Amino acid sequence: MLKIMRVLPVLLVLTLAAAACGGSDDSAPATGTLEGKTVTVYSGRGEDLIAAVFEAFETATGATVDVRYGGSDEMALLIDTEGDRSPADVFISQSPGAVGFLDQNDRLTTMSDDVLQRVPDTYRADDGTWVGLTGRVRVLVYNTDLVSVDELPGSVLDLTDPAYAGKVGVAPSNGSFQDFVTAMRADLGDDATLEWLEGLAANDSPNYAKNSAIVDAVSRGEVAMGLVNHYYLAEALEEDPDLPAANHVFPDGDLGSLLIVSAAGVVDSTDDREAAEALIAFLLSDDAQRMSADAEYEYALVPGIDPPAGLEPLEDLAAVQVDLDVLADGLTGTLALIEQSGIVE
Amino acid sequence: MLVVAALVIGMVFAGPLAYVVIQNVREGADLADIVWSEDTAGPLVRSLLLASVVSLTSALIGTVLAWTVVRTDIRGRSLWKVVAPLPLVFPSFVGATALISGFATGGLLEQLVEPLGVGSLPELSGFRGAWFVLTLFTYPYVYLPVAARLRHLPAAPEESARLLGRRPLQVFTSVVLPQSLTAISAGALLVFLYTISDFGAVQLLRYDTLTRAIFANQLANRATSFGLALLLGIVAIVVVAGERALIRRDPPTSGRNRSRALQIPLGPLRGPVTVAVGAFFLVALVGPAASLLHWLIRGLSSERSRGATAVDVDGLWSAVVNTVWVSIAAAVVTVAVVLPVAYLNARYRSRTGTAANALVVSGFALPGVVIGLAFVFWVLSTDLFVSFYQTLPLLVLAYVIHFGAQATGASGVAVGAIPPHLDDAARTLGAGRLRRFTTIELPIMAPGLGAAGGLVLLSVMKELPATLFLAPIGFDTLATRIWSAMETVSYAQAGLDSLVLLAVSGLLTWLLVIRAAEHLD
Repeated sequence: MLKIMRVLPVLLVLTLAAAACGGSDDSAPATGTLEGKTVTVYSGRGEDLIAAVFEAFETATGATVDVRYGGSDEMALLIDTEGDRSPADVFISQSPGAVGFLDQNDRLTTMSDDVLQRVPDTYRADDGTWVGLTGRVRVLVYNTDLVSVDELPGSVLDLTDPAYAGKVGVAPSNGSFQDFVTAMRADLGDDATLEWLEGLAANDSPNYAKNSAIVDAVSRGEVAMGLVNHYYLAEALEEDPDLPAANHVFPDGDLGSLLIVSAAGVVDSTDDREAAEALIAFLLSDDAQRMSADAEYEYALVPGIDPPAGLEPLEDLAAVQVDLDVLADGLTGTLALIEQSGIVE
Repeated sequence: MLVVAALVIGMVFAGPLAYVVIQNVREGADLADIVWSEDTAGPLVRSLLLASVVSLTSALIGTVLAWTVVRTDIRGRSLWKVVAPLPLVFPSFVGATALISGFATGGLLEQLVEPLGVGSLPELSGFRGAWFVLTLFTYPYVYLPVAARLRHLPAAPEESARLLGRRPLQVFTSVVLPQSLTAISAGALLVFLYTISDFGAVQLLRYDTLTRAIFANQLANRATSFGLALLLGIVAIVVVAGERALIRRDPPTSGRNRSRALQIPLGPLRGPVTVAVGAFFLVALVGPAASLLHWLIRGLSSERSRGATAVDVDGLWSAVVNTVWVSIAAAVVTVAVVLPVAYLNARYRSRTGTAANALVVSGFALPGVVIGLAFVFWVLSTDLFVSFYQTLPLLVLAYVIHFGAQATGASGVAVGAIPPHLDDAARTLGAGRLRRFTTIELPIMAPGLGAAGGLVLLSVMKELPATLFLAPIGFDTLATRIWSAMETVSYAQAGLDSLVLLAVSGLLTWLLVIRAAEHLD
């Protein structure tokens, strides 16, 4: 299937409507309406992060939620392989890449506007096949013993400077890094993105398997800095509060502080669209969004919910927002660029 | 009859490879293009290089260890017997993470050696890292079948060699090695196939092999991904055929080994050898386990800011129960299923046997995700099995197909140990096929089959991708719990669950593999 990547202008995120705070929750379905029904979810988000919200849905609606947990990519592959006989009603993904894959293979159905409009339109698919649930911000994690605050770069683009040679850990095979590269392509074009990747490669930026491995390596002082999602550090600090590491958010709406969303969609072979959509609507209710922000250190996407404890509001962090449809569609080209740049060791 | 069984078994085991071929056709993959592309050459060479070096090292370590533990008077034999197969049970993503964090700057090992004046340790990554980690976690593929073989070899030739004044090392090279070659090469083959299919360790240690390319392309470039998977399957078949052509089967032993536990006295070497074996397990088992314990203690001692406890023990017990019974079931069924193929191979050099064996073994060379998806594909494209989809019987069947290869080698060695003249004698005396099987062949094969089952058992206990795809919803195993803890960076939880996995597998190995074999001896 040939898809032309739409390069959309960078959108300024408007100050999120503070007035929506404390409003009544009109999206949650009425209690007891789904008694006796079962919603089967394939979730790329971990049980620790999301199980409590599913339980709240069961209590509120009387429905039963059966959840299969696994990696986002693997669960998307599973749904695709299962075809029409897939038991899954809802797919939940850690990143736009995996929902985009199912969308491209026409395995997701369009949701109703009531559900979609819970979040600003930058956080959902143009064709209404998936909707963002929560967001993580890309940051530069650094070792506070090895790096002083004035050495930190103002922009992610500065990391190709020879001053950062060998100092910045990256995870080129990780979905979040790839989503970030796709966003950069949408923002700056393929040539500039390739140049940036080649710059990182020329700097011998050490490769890691994933975000958590980078945070571990930075905490140990094995590498001074690393490009990761914001919440990995919070989780690592929870295990060991003395880690000499901190997050640096690229200032002034730099592309480096991109927001990456987790997302949900209804599988096209579902036998109960109504119940499947009700679950996604519930995940976007104020209460469920608050649970996500509190328990997962992630940002709620529904306007008016407080940011996770200890973090600045979303609008202060990332002034830049790239249309997330671009992230979902452009993975193929992104992988080719990453390969071509020689950044993979 | 045997031939028909082998044909059916071969067909079932051909499922994963057939799925990969179908997907290649569907996606319009240009195999020649993929194989000869520059992007493939590097990873292919690295996969082959790594697998060759790891299998050679594992063969060496596994064989020497098996002989030392089974045949010498090394101190602490009964302890070594239990711990020797255990490193196999570390899922590679946990084992690699534990070793990396142990070796890293500021890690556990550096803290230990710092007072000794040792500066920085070599960083565990790339080829060296993958070689080290995979060797430590795969040598049991060689150790188990070789130990089983040695337990059954008549002691007389070794005894004579020793009485003729040969030193232990000479006895080993001139008598033991030639007689264990089948078992060694069967084990090394498994190591080779495991290494080319491994993803967790090479990914974490940053060594760019074919599996990394398969995974990197699995969503975006399915044609490339399936093309590379097919390439992996072809490599496996070539290697399996090569091993079979090169290695002469062992002659059957002349009789049951009645003289129990021949022990070659190590003499003045006894102390140093014991220390060396102890040091090896310090690195292969105690090291990773210490890292896991470190994660657990660190997590428990830090207050959770969210008011939650650092570890959750609810559900741990049911995960233990699930893991134990599903792995025992898979081990028993696997050994039973591959036995006809083993008979065909060991008794008659039949083409059917060779082909069935190649198919069974090639399945093991494909990454677990591909095998899991293949299973999903076949089950859902037949009306017959749809209602069993994601139920336990089919999960067990998936394990059997995934790990059948691990049982064929050791089972073949077991069948090869049956002296034909005993069978002939029994036949002459009027014993029927079933009676000969249960009274003569099964007892002789017991240690070999125990080793075969043991390998499958330990592999199933750590299996992840097929379990995530095919287990009934809510059916947690220790491996799925560990994976989910690692995903959310709950190292304390991952540490606890991994230590439990280690303890449970130690107990099962002792009960089912070691004690059972000795009891039947």
